[in-house]
Amino acid sequence: MINILVPIKRVPDPYIKVKPLPDGSGLDVANVKHEINPFDEIALEAAIRLREQGVELAITVVSIGPDEAEEQLRKGLAMGADSAILVQKQGGMDSLGVAKEIAEIAKSTGAKLVIMGKQATDDDCNQASQMLAALLGWGYCSCASQISLSGSHIEVRRETDSGEQRVSLELPAIVTADLRLAEPRYIALPGIIKARSKPLEKRVPVHNDQVQYRVLSVESVPSRKAGKMVQSVPELVAELKSLGAVS
Amino acid sequence: MSQTQSATAQGCDFLQGNPPKNSFYPEQFLGDESLMIQAAEQFSRQEVLPMSWRLDEHEEGLMKHLVSKAGELGFCGIDTPEAYGGLGLPKNLAARILELLSLNASFSVTIGITSGIGQLGLILFGTEAQKLARLPHLASGEKIAAYALSEPNSGSDALSLTTKAEANGGDYILNGTKMWISNAQWADTFLVMAKVDGDKVTAFLVDRSCPGVSISREEHKMGLKGSSTARLVLENAVVPAENVLHEVGLGHHVAFNALNLGRFKLSSMSLGPARDAIGLASSYSQERKQFGRAISEFGLIQKKFASMATLFFAAESMVYRTGAMIDQAFQRYSGSVEDNMRAAEEYAVECSMIKVFSTEVESMIIDDALQCFGGYGFTEEFPIARHYRDARVSRIYEGTNEINRIFLVDRIRKRILLNRATPPKKDGSFVSELAELCWPLLKDGQIEKGAMADLLILMYGVQSCWSRGNALGSHALELAKSFENYANIRALEAYQLVTGEPIQIPKPHNVDQQNLAELVHEAHGPWHG
Repeated sequence: MINILVPIKRVPDPYIKVKPLPDGSGLDVANVKHEINPFDEIALEAAIRLREQGVELAITVVSIGPDEAEEQLRKGLAMGADSAILVQKQGGMDSLGVAKEIAEIAKSTGAKLVIMGKQATDDDCNQASQMLAALLGWGYCSCASQISLSGSHIEVRRETDSGEQRVSLELPAIVTADLRLAEPRYIALPGIIKARSKPLEKRVPVHNDQVQYRVLSVESVPSRKAGKMVQSVPELVAELKSLGAVS
Repeated sequence: MSQTQSATAQGCDFLQGNPPKNSFYPEQFLGDESLMIQAAEQFSRQEVLPMSWRLDEHEEGLMKHLVSKAGELGFCGIDTPEAYGGLGLPKNLAARILELLSLNASFSVTIGITSGIGQLGLILFGTEAQKLARLPHLASGEKIAAYALSEPNSGSDALSLTTKAEANGGDYILNGTKMWISNAQWADTFLVMAKVDGDKVTAFLVDRSCPGVSISREEHKMGLKGSSTARLVLENAVVPAENVLHEVGLGHHVAFNALNLGRFKLSSMSLGPARDAIGLASSYSQERKQFGRAISEFGLIQKKFASMATLFFAAESMVYRTGAMIDQAFQRYSGSVEDNMRAAEEYAVECSMIKVFSTEVESMIIDDALQCFGGYGFTEEFPIARHYRDARVSRIYEGTNEINRIFLVDRIRKRILLNRATPPKKDGSFVSELAELCWPLLKDGQIEKGAMADLLILMYGVQSCWSRGNALGSHALELAKSFENYANIRALEAYQLVTGEPIQIPKPHNVDQQNLAELVHEAHGPWHG
């Protein structure tokens, strides 16, 4: 039996337009629908498929966040995770803080593999997984597009600009999910009912570090100015020159 | 004190003059219930809506494929008891799930019938063997059910049906034609009403594989083109005697009780397309620019969104208030066939009221939504025209809205005689005052009864809106006020029809139409607390 940990982050629905708060201190997400970070959902799907391929696995989903993150954990359980852990934390935590918490959970649950999204769609940091690998001293591979387990190794394929790379990692290891790793399944109603009886444990953060960065302001992207139609290439070049875009 | 929540709650309590302070409202679907509702919406949006054209063209195998896919996810047996392969969820939650599965009306009617009136007769009246033989296959979506009551010459007057069943050894021989049978093309099991010995209405479970059973060509319909509607032809069809559902001569109990609950389900199914139409119109009107501004910024477009939001809010409040009461009735009575019948019948009046209201609101909302599209709404380039065509039948089937209006007034009269209801009493709203004034003056004319039915429906609506508005405050209160303004005007018309007298209408609540429109745009659809 291999214990797999899948961290899932509660993020505002990435398909909904959000507005900055009037004071610019962050985004107004109070009444916005929240979802599992799409890359994390892909990671969870990939973990469930490993189990469906016949490998004996126990999948634990973990989320660090407010009590409402229980919603996302319940969804993870409904998809097929076996147990869930909520690290209760109101307010922000930076990537290093997240990595430290997950490292503790990885140790206490005896996890041999962590699969997580390559980044979260709310802050797009893409650094918690790398920090986690450094803290645990485990093998690490980012942006997996295909994974399989063979014995004590995980075989990973990743798409790069120059072609497909194949990587073999010895467990314990950390792998992050890219968009094409797996398409998340629909949650089935029987799965939701089954999830009612699966364990969901609540913990408090082990670390209490201060967030090591400060948000200066959050603003909307200024709306693009109207373009200008040109009739010919010489006219285009002249326009670009007058804008100082070419010399 | 609220009567509806007490142990003695019963149908028609809304007439008693003390409106419920804590009736159920849809924001009370919480935790994993909302996860189930989201799952249904996701399935609808990702699997069904993109197929709308292909469904309308009856692409071979597509609808059956979608039903079986829905079945794998549990959507064909939402409130089928667990013992027969379903999930056994409460009926109110099942209805909410069905609403979100209903964004495309052709798929809605298909799954609504195979999971609804196609199974209800069996669930309420079936023997253990009958249920075990059929329900698990229907709940899993591998088989499809249909309900066959209407005939070419027997529609609203359902008991005038002429399909005959003659006993022949261990079988019955059925002869007749059943018309407007939804799911006919795909169904494996039909619930058929026929008369034994000339006058004993009896329900039969007719399997498609029985000799003598055939399906005629598809009807060429105005809407719901993706659904199947055809005639079921029974020519010396041989049906084993063990397929009689309930008792010979008591088929009307099966037919009508399935219809009571069917009307409840149809009410929530009608909200699905209305919900989608509001979302479509909202996106379009924010993108479409005229005179240099998005048309959503214009007052008369804002007025439409305010009105759509208000009507949807009212219908939603009424439907899920009713569903919670139906669940309570099933908790109280469920068990024997007699108990099931009592529970299914208890809220028959409310079921008729919400069927009428939701289906009319569905059409009004879709009509307003289409108007936001201007000329494009009149083309098939946008999905709103399909909603417009599809919605029209909602007011016709599952009992026309005219029959339902007459039925509900007659049923209240009957219940009053049996001491199971009181005449309407005023509950603080203007609408309820008019209902109280009109009831004793009511004569037997259909026109007056229809107007009375409208008063009662509006009274129920105003109660439901205030109850939800008071519980949720702010935006919900604004919507409740907006609905009361609407209801008062409609009530005035109904009062004049019954009495022929003028009456002073109260001062309207001050409602900010622009704000209500904004709420819709923020929610990308009807407001939700």
